[in-house]
Amino acid sequence: MSFSILLSVVTALAWGIQSIFLKKAMRDIPLTSAILISLIINFFVLVFLIGVSAEKGFSVFIDISGPIYFYFMVAGFLNYLLGRGLYYSSFRFISITRSTSISSTYPMISVAFAIIVLGEKLALHQLIGIGLTLSGTYLLMMRGKR
Amino acid sequence: MSQWRGQVEATLSSVCFGIAPIFAKKGLMSGLHPFHGGLIANGTALVIMIFFAFFSGQMRGWESIKKYGLFFAILSGICNSVALVSFFWAMSIGKVALVVPITCTYPLFTMLVAYFSIRESEVIDRFTVIGTLLIVIGVILTI
Repeated sequence: MSFSILLSVVTALAWGIQSIFLKKAMRDIPLTSAILISLIINFFVLVFLIGVSAEKGFSVFIDISGPIYFYFMVAGFLNYLLGRGLYYSSFRFISITRSTSISSTYPMISVAFAIIVLGEKLALHQLIGIGLTLSGTYLLMMRGKR
Repeated sequence: MSQWRGQVEATLSSVCFGIAPIFAKKGLMSGLHPFHGGLIANGTALVIMIFFAFFSGQMRGWESIKKYGLFFAILSGICNSVALVSFFWAMSIGKVALVVPITCTYPLFTMLVAYFSIRESEVIDRFTVIGTLLIVIGVILTI
């Protein structure tokens, strides 16, 4: 097994179990605190990584233009704050497995964007993939209705 | 009703997770290193969250936070960071076509670990297993 595959498996494993740790944390602490702690740790890890690995270090931030800052700020708001907030909040009402599976369908949004905005056409395997994803989501949602 | 609320929240989070990379991609097209972009994105969320926690009065409850909850919140944060680093590392040395589909299997790990660790609060029946498998296979095919 190549090192990149091993790293990919580590990524999936870490993403997979972080939600379980968070669910356990939310038994004792409020959602806001749980998200805040997670963001603080991520922040310091990124600061450390930039300090040790990135070529130009922190001086890059001076030269970044306003629109680029804006793009990343919107991405951060949507992903780290709104997305995670809603995702973690859903743990209070449905099981982690269902919540994680439903929220993992986000590539469909990218596909919809590619079709509507960019006018891209889908290959057969992508159409099958969309069908399977929607079927899986329907199954999980109907499981909740029973 | 609460069942639907949880599902609506999970679906909306998926929309947010789907739109965010479009903006991140636009930012990265400038040639900026992902760690720098990640720090701006994470820093923005952190600042807003601190303001929110401060003005909503939730900062006052921090001294009463139980160690058990804090421990697992820290573990969750560490896992997020490990995922972040290993993902970028894998992307930098491996093929995107291989790395992205493998990382998309994370709901399977959630299901597996949840089954063994929090069985008392997780209902994992055949519908959940089949639904999760269909979503994971479907997402891999779509990418």
